[in-house]
Amino acid sequence: MFVDNSGRRSKLLRRIGLLMGVGCLVYAVVLGAAFMGWGTSLAPSSLLPFGNGGPGGAQNSGPGGYQPQGGIGTPPSMPTGTPPSGVATGEPPSSAPTATATASAAAN
Amino acid sequence: MTTTSSRGRRRAPSRIERAAGKAAALQKPRVILALLLLLALTSVMLLDGYLRAEVGGDQRVRTGASASKVPDKVLDGGPILTFQGGQATTVSVPDKTIALTFDDGPNPTWTPQVLEILQEYDVPGTFFLVGSMVSRYPDIVKDMVDEGNEVGIHTFTHVDLSYQSDARVDREMEQTQLALAGAAGITTTLFRAPYSSETDAIDNYSWPIYKKLGEDGYTSVFVDTDSDDWKKPGVSKIIKWATPEDGKGASVLFHDAGGERSQTIKALPTYIEKMKAAGYTFTTISGVMQEQNAAARQASGTGGQQAAGAAAGANGEQAGNVPNGQGGTGGNGANGANGQTVDRLQAAHREATGVTLYEGKALIAAVTLAEWTVPTLSVGLMVVGVAVMGRFGMMLILARRHYRKRNKRRFSWGPTVTRPVSVIVPAYNEKECIANTLKSLAKSTHPIEIIIVDDGSDDNTSEISREAARALGMTNVRVIRQENAGKPAALNNGVRSARYDIVVMMDGDTVFEPDAVHHLVQPFADPKVGAVAGNAKVGNRNTVIGAWQHIEYVMGFNLDRRMYDLLRCMPTIPGAIGAFRREAVLEVGGMSEDTLAEDTDITIAMHRAGWQVVYQEHAKAWTEAPGSLKQLWSQRYRWSYGTMQALWKHRKSLTDKGPSGRFGRVGMPLVVLFQIITPVFAPLIDVFTIYSMIFIDFQAALLAWLAVLGVQLGCAAYAFRLDREKYRYLLMMPLQQLAYRQMMYLVLIHSCITALTGGRLRWQKLKRTGEVGTPAGVS
Repeated sequence: MFVDNSGRRSKLLRRIGLLMGVGCLVYAVVLGAAFMGWGTSLAPSSLLPFGNGGPGGAQNSGPGGYQPQGGIGTPPSMPTGTPPSGVATGEPPSSAPTATATASAAAN
Repeated sequence: MTTTSSRGRRRAPSRIERAAGKAAALQKPRVILALLLLLALTSVMLLDGYLRAEVGGDQRVRTGASASKVPDKVLDGGPILTFQGGQATTVSVPDKTIALTFDDGPNPTWTPQVLEILQEYDVPGTFFLVGSMVSRYPDIVKDMVDEGNEVGIHTFTHVDLSYQSDARVDREMEQTQLALAGAAGITTTLFRAPYSSETDAIDNYSWPIYKKLGEDGYTSVFVDTDSDDWKKPGVSKIIKWATPEDGKGASVLFHDAGGERSQTIKALPTYIEKMKAAGYTFTTISGVMQEQNAAARQASGTGGQQAAGAAAGANGEQAGNVPNGQGGTGGNGANGANGQTVDRLQAAHREATGVTLYEGKALIAAVTLAEWTVPTLSVGLMVVGVAVMGRFGMMLILARRHYRKRNKRRFSWGPTVTRPVSVIVPAYNEKECIANTLKSLAKSTHPIEIIIVDDGSDDNTSEISREAARALGMTNVRVIRQENAGKPAALNNGVRSARYDIVVMMDGDTVFEPDAVHHLVQPFADPKVGAVAGNAKVGNRNTVIGAWQHIEYVMGFNLDRRMYDLLRCMPTIPGAIGAFRREAVLEVGGMSEDTLAEDTDITIAMHRAGWQVVYQEHAKAWTEAPGSLKQLWSQRYRWSYGTMQALWKHRKSLTDKGPSGRFGRVGMPLVVLFQIITPVFAPLIDVFTIYSMIFIDFQAALLAWLAVLGVQLGCAAYAFRLDREKYRYLLMMPLQQLAYRQMMYLVLIHSCITALTGGRLRWQKLKRTGEVGTPAGVS
């Protein structure tokens, strides 16, 4: 009973086993990474297209201690001007200078 | 001195070798696979527990703390709190404007209903989502975002963050972001703390968290009017509480999850209609910020028109605070295609890309898998529970009935069987035991002939047997030698050579009680009986493993076999002690070599041929059980593999008619349920116990486990009573159950894999010590 002389079944099963093993490992790793927040940085400030030192920090010459250093403290500063058409479709980098200019203009 | 040291030196490499052997065994693919599966199962269970706040859950909620360190302008300010360059700024909702906010979702029942209402009235809402729920119901979130609503983070597990470490706070936020990325392809900058309400409820403990999150770029959102719908106060009160005074704007709190929300669902349309009639417009949190922004620009930074703008000088910052300007959102909003209005209302959203997106999707997939796995396991556990309890119930009833029936004073199988019978002893390298076996047979109270079939032993088993027979003065012993051909062939050889019509089969390592043969053959007085199972006892029961098997044998033979006897579907006559009608054996073709469990095979074959198989409890034989875990493993491996082979071989009985079909429909399912399905799921008892003990309720879990043990102990005690065994061995029972469950599970999986791969499994002879003596010496 059950004996398979061709060895094909065992080969197939070995492959399935390998696949399952890899699947299990990947599963555990994904969960670990997701739980610990590895591989991603999801604070809004680090997600911003305009990077550090946006116009927000420059305006009003606020208290020096709160000047954005590195990533921390950078607010989701976005241009506040209303350029409805010009920059709308632009990629973030290309629209950056315009936006900054507008924002500082508004602030001043 | 020198000898020991040299011996020690000589032994050293062997120890290393042994360690290397163990390491090599651990590297076997199936061991690795088993460990990986265990890892995945652990992950699944931990994840599921985390999602249900069983793992890492924290029910504490802080109340009544001082707010001395919270700036007054925040306490008195609007419900939207941002930090610009570390400076706290609040934004309030403009007059005649409502920002509907819904907390704690998504929920599969209520959230879709809320979304439908919002769609119907064409108003947007802002949903503060719990990450664990997002990962469990990603489709709802996707719909929510696609329909133009805004989403914010309400942590992953709905904990009071003021009690949590910075790292936990970060994890709660990031995990929720990942879940959002996986569900709807976005991340968000909006946040609302669980258990928060109006800004004036911010205290010294929660303030640092808002500050920290604000510096990370999050906008914390509070409440102006709280519907308190979770108190289920009735529709009219919900509406009343949610309505702001004097046409003021408000961020209004509802709940679309966290309990029964039918009142919310009922109140919502009325509320929207009422507010619309009062001239209100509805927007999202980002919408509010845009409006205030525009207003601030109009006032050109010299003072606000709105009450919240009163904090002079904050206006410029306020302007900068809007999470996203229209200009930059072109590529960012989840649905930029929907036009600018929607974009502006979802300005807090960011498109998730790259690793975040894929990791988010992987998280959602992992959660989906866990959501399927855990219920499946629970069903498995339930099957085990029902099987174990049902079996015990059935066994207790049937075993009792069997005992009463067979031990009645007037009970008899028919006229006493006194004619001589043949005893067949297959022997392969049994030099340690065979003399004892013969000695016990010499005391037999029933006339017998003994046929020792030497299956090509190379340890002089034949000589030793002849010698022993001569020494005992036995003239009824014949020794047949054959080329090594396996136990089935040896038994067939013996059956062919038997002179009498009843053959008793025993193992070469077994010792019979003097009246065993006599008791064993009595049922043959009934012409319908084709085979009889005897009562095998473990001789070497004074070791841990021996005691385990002793318990198992007493329960297995006493309760199981009595039950199977009455149900007329005994699956196995033990190789250690069994008797057959010679013609019946020949009729079914003798012992077969098709399977590794020839005893199970032939028993099933007898049933199918219409013979009755009964259990004779008084025919006792003492056998030597495997003495080490390794040997026990290989014996059980062979048994379970052989049983599977036998079941497969006789699978046709399921559709047969007559006695064969009867066995197929009664016996087969029982054997499959109790010998295959139950062992596969049985370790779940321990897995769930450990899980519950750690994460849910230590005491209750332990009690439940002990309750199961108690039932088993009760049954075992009953079995011991029926067999008049000493109860003290039952002390080993807890450990035995624990160890057996895992071992039988592994054995079963191992043999399933062997069956699937089609590998060849050979007979492995157990190592014997010959320590089982005469019954008197053992008991």
